[in-house]
Amino acid sequence: MSASTNTRAQPGSTVLWEKGDAAGHDMLGTRTFGFWLYMLTDAMVYAALFAAFGVLAHNAGLTSKSMLASVFDAQAAYRDTIVLFTSVLAYGYAMVALKKGSRGGVAIGTAVAMILGLVFLAMVGSDLERLFSQGIVPQLNGFLSIVFTLIIYHALHIIVGALWMLVMLMQMGRDGFTSNVVYRLINLRIFWHFQAVIWVLLFVFVYLQGKII
Amino acid sequence: MTHAVENPLHHPEVHQASLPGYVASFVITIGIMTAALWLTEKGSLSAQSLVGWTSLLALIAILIQAYWLLHMNWSKAQVWHTVAMVLFIPLFVVMIGLTMWMFHGLYQRTAITMPSGMRTAPAMHAATGGVATTTKEAAKAA
Repeated sequence: MSASTNTRAQPGSTVLWEKGDAAGHDMLGTRTFGFWLYMLTDAMVYAALFAAFGVLAHNAGLTSKSMLASVFDAQAAYRDTIVLFTSVLAYGYAMVALKKGSRGGVAIGTAVAMILGLVFLAMVGSDLERLFSQGIVPQLNGFLSIVFTLIIYHALHIIVGALWMLVMLMQMGRDGFTSNVVYRLINLRIFWHFQAVIWVLLFVFVYLQGKII
Repeated sequence: MTHAVENPLHHPEVHQASLPGYVASFVITIGIMTAALWLTEKGSLSAQSLVGWTSLLALIAILIQAYWLLHMNWSKAQVWHTVAMVLFIPLFVVMIGLTMWMFHGLYQRTAITMPSGMRTAPAMHAATGGVATTTKEAAKAA
């Protein structure tokens, strides 16, 4: 332990931090770290939903086997997985272009990621529509409620991510790579790549393991 | 997280991006998800084994994504992100695990009359060794 940490802080005389744009203050790092903590908080919401899924699976017997087979369509979920992961890869390409300072590269990567995100949403949407048309709706029982909640909650994140990409494309075109634009692009990277991690949990623990309930 | 730079493009977090890393993460995680799907569709594993193997595959996929996509590493730029993640994981697991464990105990102790065909959660099913997953199976066993 250094001498400074052993020294007792004197109220009114010890400088703990500088106000304003102090030298050494890392605006980008502070903001991305703050956003990362927010994402971990968001993940706790997922934890609550996965816990509810585990608990309500006890009531899965209220749903007929044919309905469960329709809900847990692993092949369709696998196609969603490929599209979402490709979108994540495209945004990764945008981040590599950011490193090189290529505005065109960032725009292309972001636009492709956004389009693939929309394709993912369309696929999930058509899957939900198919279930609803078969009379498989969240209101049937608690188990179906939590399954639909998990799927829709993740889809809402994809909607937010796609909108965010659109906003970033506009801000980048208007302002270029300013500090604000760059930290928002990094935060979007954290947000978008985190959705892939959550999708692994959804695909394995809901779609695949749901088939053996 | 303690780097002051004039040009935002020189920031260490911008320089974490790596195309080989992103491509490797994409290829490996797609491969892992394919393997998990194949195990499930094949249908030759017991429920307990299937839950175990697919959970292991999910864990590997998440570790790969955490390293290459989320850049969880011990570099100066990322160390506090990694520390936050490491401290978060037990909370995530405990929250899900404890909730399921508590309700599993509740269902057993309160002996709620279960409708025909009622089952336990896949993970609990595996934890109990696949015994009496449905009321029908329980009646058959008796």
